[in-house]
Amino acid sequence: MPIRLALAGNPNCGKTTLFNDLTGSTQYVGNWPGVTVEKKEGRYRADKDVYIMDLPGIYSLSPYTLEEVVTRDYIVGEKPDVIVNLVDASNIERNLYLTTQLVEMGIPVVVALNMMDVVRKQGDRIDSTALSKALGVPVVEIAAIKGEGVQQLIETAKKAAGGAQAPKHSFPAEAEKALEQIGGMISDVTDRSQLRWFSIKLFERDEKVLGRFHFSEDTRRELEEIVAEAEAALDDDAESLITDARYTYIGEVVKDCVRKSRSGMTTSDKIDRIVTNRILALPIFAIVMIAVYYIAVTTVGAILTDFTNDTFVGEWIQPAVEGFLVNIGTADWLTGLIVDGIVGGVGAVIGFVPQMLVLFLMLAVLEDCGYMARVAFIMDRIFRRFGLSGKSFIPMLIGMGCGVPGVMASRTIEQDRDRKMTIMTTTFIPCGAKMPIVALLAGSVFGGAWWVAPSAFFVGIAAIIISGILLKKTKMFAGDPAPFVMELPQYHVPTAGNVLRATWERGWSFIKKAGTVITLASILVWFGSSFGMTPDGFGMVEDMDASVIAAIGSALAVLFRPLGFGTWQSSVATVLGLVAKEEVVGVFGSLYGVAGDALELVEEAEFGALSPIAAHFTMLSAYSFMVFNLLCAPCFAAIGAIKREMNNARWTWFAIGYQTVFAYSMSLMVYQFGLLFTGAGFGIGTVAAILVLAVYIWLLFRKAPEHTTQSLRSVNAATV
Amino acid sequence: MPLSMANTGAVNTVKKIRGKDETRQFLATLGFVEGAAVTVVSSMAGNLIVCIKDSRVALSQQMASRIMV
Repeated sequence: MPIRLALAGNPNCGKTTLFNDLTGSTQYVGNWPGVTVEKKEGRYRADKDVYIMDLPGIYSLSPYTLEEVVTRDYIVGEKPDVIVNLVDASNIERNLYLTTQLVEMGIPVVVALNMMDVVRKQGDRIDSTALSKALGVPVVEIAAIKGEGVQQLIETAKKAAGGAQAPKHSFPAEAEKALEQIGGMISDVTDRSQLRWFSIKLFERDEKVLGRFHFSEDTRRELEEIVAEAEAALDDDAESLITDARYTYIGEVVKDCVRKSRSGMTTSDKIDRIVTNRILALPIFAIVMIAVYYIAVTTVGAILTDFTNDTFVGEWIQPAVEGFLVNIGTADWLTGLIVDGIVGGVGAVIGFVPQMLVLFLMLAVLEDCGYMARVAFIMDRIFRRFGLSGKSFIPMLIGMGCGVPGVMASRTIEQDRDRKMTIMTTTFIPCGAKMPIVALLAGSVFGGAWWVAPSAFFVGIAAIIISGILLKKTKMFAGDPAPFVMELPQYHVPTAGNVLRATWERGWSFIKKAGTVITLASILVWFGSSFGMTPDGFGMVEDMDASVIAAIGSALAVLFRPLGFGTWQSSVATVLGLVAKEEVVGVFGSLYGVAGDALELVEEAEFGALSPIAAHFTMLSAYSFMVFNLLCAPCFAAIGAIKREMNNARWTWFAIGYQTVFAYSMSLMVYQFGLLFTGAGFGIGTVAAILVLAVYIWLLFRKAPEHTTQSLRSVNAATV
Repeated sequence: MPLSMANTGAVNTVKKIRGKDETRQFLATLGFVEGAAVTVVSSMAGNLIVCIKDSRVALSQQMASRIMV
C-alpha cells in the first residue's frame, strides 16, 4: 500500500539533505533558513511505495512567511499518512515547539533526531528513549548528512503510518475547559482526528482557521465569550498562554532527557565576532565578492575557458567537424550552418561553462558554510536605509547563480511590498548566464582587466539601491521595511558532496540550455545572417550586412545608438538575450566569428590582435553595452518566475518595464557622460543624459509621500 | 530595558515582548518568550546577534527594542 510521508521541521534542520538521501534526488541544499520554498515529492529508493514530500521549514503552524503557508496547507489539507518531524538535536528546545503542534494534528508523528553527531561532539547527551516516552512518539536518531539511521527511520515511519496520534501535553485547566467547549461546537463539521488542533487554533483566534468555518454571528460571539472567560481566569491572552504552556512542557521534557555540558562561546560565535564586526563586516564582504568574481572570471576560470575555447573547441572539435563535413561532401551552406552557426554560436557559450562552474563552485561554498545568512544580516543595516530589508539580500545572492530561484527565494520576505520590490530588483544582480557577457567583454575589449567582473556585481548592487530609494518614494512602496529577524545557522566546513552537487546541478542546466534553446537560436541567427536580398532576388548573401537579420538589427540599432552600441549585431544580441542571456555571446560567436575563429576572440584580444569584437566596441561602449544587458529585462525563464511570484499581470509588466527603462537610462548616462569626460565634446546625447540625470536626482531626493496605509503581509496578500 | 541596550555577553531574561500579535507570535516560535534566557553575541550599529535557546538569531534594532529584558 502506498504511504505518503511528509518531512516537516524547523528551517535549516536538514530536511532536504534527508530527502535527497531517501529519494536519490538532488534537490538544492544550503546552510541558511529558507532554502526550500516549494514542496517537492519523491519516492523512497528502497521502497517505491513510500512517497516522500519535502516541505519548506516552519517554526510553527502559524505561518509568518509565504513558504510556511505551503507547509501548513499541505499538512492540514492533504493529511499525509505520517509526518517525519526532523528535529535539530543541537537546538532541541526550540525545535520541539513545532513538535508539540504537530502531534495535535491527529497524524502519526515520528521524530527524527538529526545532528546527534554535533550534540555528542559538544559533550551533551540526549536520552532518546526517555524523549520518546515523554513525547508519546517514536524517536529515531539519525545523521542525515552521513545517511545514518535513515533506514530505521523509514521502517519506524511505515509502522506508525495510518495510526492515531494523541498529544501527551495539556494546557492549564481553564484553557482545557474552553478547548472542550469549542470542540463541542465544531465536532459535527470536523474530522475527529483534527478536532483538537482546530479547537486550539480557534482558541488562539487564528484568522485563517476562523475563516474556514463560516460561523454565524451568534456562534462567533459564543466562541469569543469562551475564549475571553479562559483569558480572564488565566490573566493572559489566549495565544500567549498556549505558547507558554508549550514551552513549559518542553522545558520539563528537556530537563529529563537532555544533559548539557555548558560551554561558553562556540566557534561560530567567535567567527561572528569578526565577520559581523561593526567596522570589518563590509570590507570583508566586499573582499569576498571581489575574490569570487576575480577568481571565476579573471584567473582560474579564464585559464580553463582558454583551454576549452582554443584547444578543446578551436583545435579539436571545429577543424574535425569541418574536415569531416568537407570530406563527406556536405553542401557548403550546410557546412557553414554547422561550423559557423551551431559550433560557433553554441561553442562560444559552452566555452564559458568552465568560468561558470568556478563561479558556481565558489557560490556553493559560500552558501554551504553559513556565511550567506550573515551577509543578509550585515546588509540589513545598509539596505534598510534604502527601503529594503536584509532579507532581500538572500534572493539576490541566489540570483548570482540563476534569477529564477532567486526570484522564488523572495517568498521568505514577510511584507508584501518588500517582497514585490525584491522581485523587481533581484535580477539586477548578474546571474551565471550574464557572466559570459561580462567575461567576453572583459577579455576582448578590456584586455582582461581584473576590475570589470567585480564591477558588474557592484553595478547590480548600486542599481538595487537606487531603485530602492526611488521606488520607496512612490505611493505603492512607501513605508518602512519589516524589522529583520532571521535565525543564523552554525558555520560548518562545506561538505564536498553538497558543494559539488550544487555546482554540477547549476552547471548542467546551462549545458542543457546550450544544447536546446541556444542551439535553436544559433541556427536561427545563422539563417538570418546568411540569407537576404541579393541582386538576383532572395538568397544566400556573401556580405552579412545585406542579410535579413542585419536589416532587422539595423532598424533596432537606432534605439541603441545613444547608448553607444548602435551596430545591428549588438542589437540582435541584446534582443536575443531575452531568450537566454548566454545567447548574447552566442550571437557574437555566430556573427563576428567569420571563418570560424569565433572561439578565439578572447585569446586574440590578449595578444593585441584586432579581434572582430574589439573592433566594434570601444571600452566605453562595451561598458555601456554590459550595463544595459545586466540591468534590462531578464530572460524569459526569469520573467516567467516574476510572473508566478507576482501572480498579477500588471505587476509583471510594471517590473519588466521598470527594469528596461532603468537599464536604458543608466546605460545612456554611462555612455554620454563617459564621452563627455573623455573629451568627445558636447552633443544632443549629452543634453539627454543631463535631463535623465536631473529626473533621477529629483526622483531620489524628492520628499517621500505621507505614509498612512498599513503594510500588507505577504501571507495575507497571497490569499487576497 | 529593551534588548537593544543590553551589554554584549551578559545573560538576560526576557520579561516582555511588545508589538503586534503576529510579530510577537513569530518571536515566540523562535524562542523569545517570557522567562527565556537571552545573550547578546554581537552587535553592529544597533542590529544584534543573540543567543536564545541554543540558536543564534539576528535581529534589527527595531525588533530588538520590542524585547524587554
